[in-house]
Amino acid sequence: MRVIDQLSSPYMYLLCGGIVLFVALVCVVFLVRAWKAGRAIGMDPVVMKRAVTASATFSVLPAIGILLGVIALSGSLGIPWPWLRLSVIGALHYETQVADAAAEQVGIHLSASEMTAGGFATIALLMSVCIMWGMILDTVFGKRYLKQLNRNQNQTNRKQGGFGDHAMTAMFIGMVSAYLGSYLGSFVSENGLLTFTGNWVPLLVAGVSACIMAVFTYFSEHRNMQWLDNFSIACSMLIGMLAAVLTGLH
Amino acid sequence: MKPDDYYAIYTEKTHRLGRIVSVMTLCMLVGAPFLMGKYLGASPDVNAALRGFVSVGLVWTVSSIVEFLVYTPMLGAGGSYLAFITGNLINMKIPCAMNAREMAHTKAGTPENEIISTLSIASSSLVTILILAVGVLLLTPLQPVLQSEALQPAFSNVVPALFGAMAYKYFRKDLRLAVIPMGIMSILFILMPSLTGSTSMMILPSGAIAILLSYIQYRKNRENRA
Repeated sequence: MRVIDQLSSPYMYLLCGGIVLFVALVCVVFLVRAWKAGRAIGMDPVVMKRAVTASATFSVLPAIGILLGVIALSGSLGIPWPWLRLSVIGALHYETQVADAAAEQVGIHLSASEMTAGGFATIALLMSVCIMWGMILDTVFGKRYLKQLNRNQNQTNRKQGGFGDHAMTAMFIGMVSAYLGSYLGSFVSENGLLTFTGNWVPLLVAGVSACIMAVFTYFSEHRNMQWLDNFSIACSMLIGMLAAVLTGLH
Repeated sequence: MKPDDYYAIYTEKTHRLGRIVSVMTLCMLVGAPFLMGKYLGASPDVNAALRGFVSVGLVWTVSSIVEFLVYTPMLGAGGSYLAFITGNLINMKIPCAMNAREMAHTKAGTPENEIISTLSIASSSLVTILILAVGVLLLTPLQPVLQSEALQPAFSNVVPALFGAMAYKYFRKDLRLAVIPMGIMSILFILMPSLTGSTSMMILPSGAIAILLSYIQYRKNRENRA
């Protein structure tokens, strides 16, 4: 039996599926605890329900994108391992890069024909080790870090949200700026400084997505259709992605 | 029991539970390659893995430290434990939690924000796990559709689609605050297009500029109110 066939054997499904199931149970436990705590501190269940619904609908499209990552990696690593990696801890942009670097270190290319048993085990180990630091830091320092942050806010600020709230919004503005700047930079200078011949599709997609979001916001805020908020991000993304498909047709 | 007391106990228990499940997940994820290697009749080459770690792992370690420092305050205790366990932070969990927070009108650092973040990340993770599980089950029949050439541009542009929508949402809240980081990042990426390979690392300076400007604005507003 080829190694690539063994990588999608029932044993591998059982091993990886067991870990995925464990993480799913953890999510359910956290969800139920948070819901109960929300009710106990007097939060409106309608608001909590909206947060759950919006988050679930929001996640559908990115999850399909992640599924494509599983498909992309399944050609060289089998199905169960990429399934586990992208369900737990992993990230789409990270897995391929690290798997490729590990394959290079064991002297093979990331492909089904070259995959060896030792090569796969090494790739899998490196994929696990490289990205686990966030979890370790959170386990070791998370409690202390959050306590320190809370100490810096007095009781009034805790109720009203002090600078921390502004900082979070600012951080998000910074994050969005970095990504949009990178799309602009790719288009303008990807093929040489100020040549304006680079990849323009991400810019177009971001632009279309932003315009659709503006339409949703208008109807939500000015036409009393707040229920649209549940679908605004997912639909904006979908139409933005559709624009990318249309550019491919021409 | 008073709501404040209940919340204090809840937070304490969340940290305990979060730490226990994080350690268990870590053990499973690091142990799995060895178990799979045993099944395949080989062991991981630890030296090769170490060399690989030096070549790419250090970058991801720095990235993980940044993620911990930036996202933990955003998500609170329960949300951050779950987010670090389930991954896909930038492209899914963080925007998802921010979106839920916006809808619920909660403020960072408040108990309400802690609850909404946890609900948001848990629901998002469950949907992702479910879609991936169903997708894996249907992988063979779905493969031709999802891998069709016509759909590839769509799935290559999930992240731009996400950040386009989020840009509208956040930039309109404070357009003046967005102008400077957006301008600086655009100029940097135009002058040094090779930086596009390290976009996730550029979040740190961009975020730092935005936070600094926001702090100046915050101080100014407070002084004006006083």
